[in-house]
Amino acid sequence: MTSMTHDESTAMPRARLPHRVGPLLKTGAIRLIVPMLLVFLWWLGSRSETNGLFIAPPLEVAQRVISDFLSSDPRHFFLGDVARGDLVPSLWRATLGFWLAVVVGVGLGIALGLQPVLAALFQPLVHLGRSLPTPALIGVFFLLFGTGDWPKVLLIAFGIVWPILFNTIDGVQSIGTARAHVASVFKISSWDVLTRIVLPGAAPKIFAGVRVALSLSLILMIISELQRSKNGLGNLLVSNQRNFDYPGFWSVLVALALIGIVLNVLLVQIERRVLAWHRGVTLQHD
Amino acid sequence: MTDHATEQPAPAELVLEQISKTYGQNRAIGDISATIPAGKVSVIVGPSGAGKTTLLRIITGLEEATSGRVLFDGEVVNGVPEGLAMVFQDYSRSLFPWMRVEDNVAFPLRRRASKAERTRRVAEALQAVGLDGKGRLYPWQMSGGMQQRVAIARALACQPRLLVMDEPYASVDAQTRAELEDLLLSIQAQLDITVLVVTHDIDESVYLADRIIVLSKPPSTVTEVIDVGLARPRDQITTKEEAEFVHARAHVLRLLRGTATPDDASDVRVA
Repeated sequence: MTSMTHDESTAMPRARLPHRVGPLLKTGAIRLIVPMLLVFLWWLGSRSETNGLFIAPPLEVAQRVISDFLSSDPRHFFLGDVARGDLVPSLWRATLGFWLAVVVGVGLGIALGLQPVLAALFQPLVHLGRSLPTPALIGVFFLLFGTGDWPKVLLIAFGIVWPILFNTIDGVQSIGTARAHVASVFKISSWDVLTRIVLPGAAPKIFAGVRVALSLSLILMIISELQRSKNGLGNLLVSNQRNFDYPGFWSVLVALALIGIVLNVLLVQIERRVLAWHRGVTLQHD
Repeated sequence: MTDHATEQPAPAELVLEQISKTYGQNRAIGDISATIPAGKVSVIVGPSGAGKTTLLRIITGLEEATSGRVLFDGEVVNGVPEGLAMVFQDYSRSLFPWMRVEDNVAFPLRRRASKAERTRRVAEALQAVGLDGKGRLYPWQMSGGMQQRVAIARALACQPRLLVMDEPYASVDAQTRAELEDLLLSIQAQLDITVLVVTHDIDESVYLADRIIVLSKPPSTVTEVIDVGLARPRDQITTKEEAEFVHARAHVLRLLRGTATPDDASDVRVA
């Protein structure tokens, strides 16, 4: 990992920048300017006489986020009531759906990628599944799987499996015949071919699919909770709106944004470790 | 290197008996018979499209000949023979960029040798190609020449009795190419393995070879087998100045262009 010290910020052209911007760039502080501007506009909106009725002021929303989602009680892992009652069930279902999609998408993708006959057989089905707008199927999932957690989990998994599946097939097919020759000449066992050639070779494409799937999973998590749900952030969003609890409504949105950011940072960190080699290869060819 | 040499298994002899290969209507290989002598360097040259790659795939057991057979130390080849290792043309595709150099070299030994044995063989192979201490690097952190050395080390770690190389130096610059040619010759002399190289470079074929097998255009046949008597160890400068080198080089070139008959080679054989 010694040569992995390359950092994107140092790769950016720094010539001819006005010198006051220099320190801002170095510390990354420049990235905060636009979000701060947005919060300011939000605050302006909340001051307006008409819109202010629906737009809760940022400070009040921040206080609601802290009081609803955090607690000082270590027995509850410092999680507030809303976090335990709605956030945890939501994330639990999203996580389950996400991993289900990863396992099915990667497994099926490898099988289809390695077997052209299978790929040809199932291609129409895969294209059909991909082009169906998943939210439209929510009623079907409730009918098929009842009203508990399963229809929601399966809806999430069904909606996000496609980018993973397509990218895995593509990734497996991109590994190439040259590597297959190496494997047969050196008599590499099929298990090692699968785990040490096919999986790592397809990993860059798989990660691209997983990244799309991750953001889709949050969208579907909310959609699956908008109806026939006893808990979850989606349900909370609707009920807060119905009860004219606008600070509560806005606090859920802020919490969702924070979750999205945290998940993306996590994925980027994992990707950096797993695909360090791929960044190296790409840099070499630049 | 001495202990390496002692445990190296005896070099294998390879015999091609009336090999032909037809794809549908297309006759790629007409009739090829030749002997690749044990413990020597043999080079197959031929015009592009002469079915060299197809022939290699048949020799390595990846493809079946339409007729004829390949004998590896007297045994008919049916699948990749035990004791055969290969260096591929394109190192960037034959090495695995997600593995460190040492893992690339050790990869064929997984499930065949103990951990300690693998570590020892990898260290020896890397030393043999002049890459000791580079095992922790990734291939893409190295130059093209070094990557091809890794590919050679991977083949050597298998302790092959026959080392097959498909246009091994086609993707490196001339300077590196000369270094790698000399590396191959010194390894071959130390380890006493049979080496079979396919190339389209005539200078390279004469410089490396004890025996050159010249192929014709497809459907390919053996135009001529030339035994090269140049002394070893060879040298990039002095060997290439010798009259026999110059004659052999010109003769192979004429054969490939179709302006010479095998009989013109009498001067080469005598020398």
